[in-house]
Amino acid sequence: MRHTPVYIICSPRPLVGKTLIARLLSEFLLLKNGEVAAFDINLKEPSLLEYLPAITETAEVDDTFGKMTLMDRLIVDDGIAKVIDLGFHAFDEFFKMSEEIGFMKEAARRGVAPVILFVADTDRASARGYPMLQQQIPATALVTIDNEFVVRGELPPAFAHGRTLQIAALPVFLKTYIDRLTFSFTAYLRNEKDTSTELHQWIRKNYLSFRELELSLLLQRS
Amino acid sequence: MAKPVVIVVGADKGGVGKTTVARTLLDYFSANNVPTRAFDTESPRGTLKRFHPDATEIVDMATTSDQMKIFDTLNSSSPSVTVIDVRAGLLSPSLISLRDIGFLDAAKSGQITFAVFHILGPSIASLDEIAETANFMQGAKYFLVKNFINNTSFFEWDQATYNSYFHRIKDATELTIPKLNEMAYEQVEVASVPFLKFVANKGMQDEAANYSFVLRGYVRHWLANIWSEFDRIKLTDLVGSGKSGARGGEK
Repeated sequence: MRHTPVYIICSPRPLVGKTLIARLLSEFLLLKNGEVAAFDINLKEPSLLEYLPAITETAEVDDTFGKMTLMDRLIVDDGIAKVIDLGFHAFDEFFKMSEEIGFMKEAARRGVAPVILFVADTDRASARGYPMLQQQIPATALVTIDNEFVVRGELPPAFAHGRTLQIAALPVFLKTYIDRLTFSFTAYLRNEKDTSTELHQWIRKNYLSFRELELSLLLQRS
Repeated sequence: MAKPVVIVVGADKGGVGKTTVARTLLDYFSANNVPTRAFDTESPRGTLKRFHPDATEIVDMATTSDQMKIFDTLNSSSPSVTVIDVRAGLLSPSLISLRDIGFLDAAKSGQITFAVFHILGPSIASLDEIAETANFMQGAKYFLVKNFINNTSFFEWDQATYNSYFHRIKDATELTIPKLNEMAYEQVEVASVPFLKFVANKGMQDEAANYSFVLRGYVRHWLANIWSEFDRIKLTDLVGSGKSGARGGEK
C-alpha cells in the first residue's frame, strides 16, 4: 500500500538552504505527481511562499490553533505529497509538539509517511538538534541533507551514520540565478535545450536523488 | 469478597479542579477494568455526571437518605470502587458526617479502604485546609493533589511555612496533575465526553467523532502523565485489582 509522504525540511539554523531544498522537492513532486501541497513555516527567512505561491500556504506552530490547522492536514492519507519548509525558529516547538501528540505513531497508523530531511551544519545547534531527532524519529525516516554550499567539506561524523542526501554546491553566479523569485527548476529543464549546462545537470541530479529516496522509502515499507 | 473502596475527591476551596481529577480517576479505573461508580455532590446539576452519565449519580451529601444511598450500598453494590466528587466547601462537613456515621472508624478498623484526594489551591487557605482535613485521616490514604491544570502556581509563600503544615501529616502523599493545553481542555468540555473517549476520537455513545488530532494528542500525553502519577501511588493496588498489563485506553 502506498503511503502519503510528508517531507519535513528542517534545521535549527537559519540560511542553510531549507527553502532551496523545499523548492526543489516541491517542484519535483509537482512534476512527477501533478500535485503537491507545500507549507511554509518559515516566515522570518526567505520564504517558500514567495517562490511557489500556487502550491504553498503559510502555517505556524506558535499557538495551538496554528498547530491544529497544520497537523490536522498533515495526518490525512489523501495521496497528496506534502512538503514542509520548517523555519529554524519553529524547529524546537514543532518537534516538541510532534512528540507530545505522537505524530509519528499516528501517521504510521493512518498510512502517512513522514520523512524528516535534516539540513546539516557544523555548528552547535545542529549538533544538539540531530540527536533530538534521532531519539524521536525512526532511522528509516530521518535523512541528513549534506548541502555542500553550507557544510563545505566532510559532513561531521555525528550526522554521517544514517541515510544522507547530497546537494552539490553551485557556483555563486548560478546560485544567484536560481535565487530569483521567478526561477523554476522544472521550467528550466523544459526550456533549456542545452542539457550539458551545469545547472541542468545539477537539477537533474537532485531530482534523481529525490526519486531514489522515494523508491528506497517505498522498498522499506513493502 | 473484595473490600469496598471509597475515594473522596474534594477541597473546601472552589475552582481548584476537583471534578477534573475525579474524571481522570474514573478514566483510569475504566482503562484498568476496575468497576467504578461515582457520586456527584454538585446538586442538582453535576459536572461529573455530564462527563460520566452512566457511572454517576447526583446526591446531596447533607441528606441522610443520600448518605444511605452511598454508604449502605458499599458492600452490596457490584462496583468495588466508589468515587465521590465533593462540591466546593463540603469537604470538611462531609468528613464530619463520615465520622458521625461511623464510616471513619470502619476505615480505621480495615473494613473499608478509604482514600481522600485533597485538591489544593494556591492560597494559604489550602494549607489551613490540610491541617483541618488531616484530623480525619487516621486509617485513610491521604493524597495532596497539586493541580496545575488551570496554570496555578503553587506555594509561592514561604517554604518553611508550607513545610510546617505539610510535615504535620505523616502519611500524606503528594501528587501532581500537570497543565493541559487550554484549547484541548476546552474542546473536551465542549465534547462533554470522558478524556478517554476524546483521545479515542469517540462520542458519548462510542460513535466516531472528529476531534482535532493535535488536541487529542495533547490530551493523551496529559492523561498518560496523570496515570503515571496514579501508577506511582499504586492506585490499582489500593483498590485491590493489581496493576493491569495493557490498558484499554492506551491502545
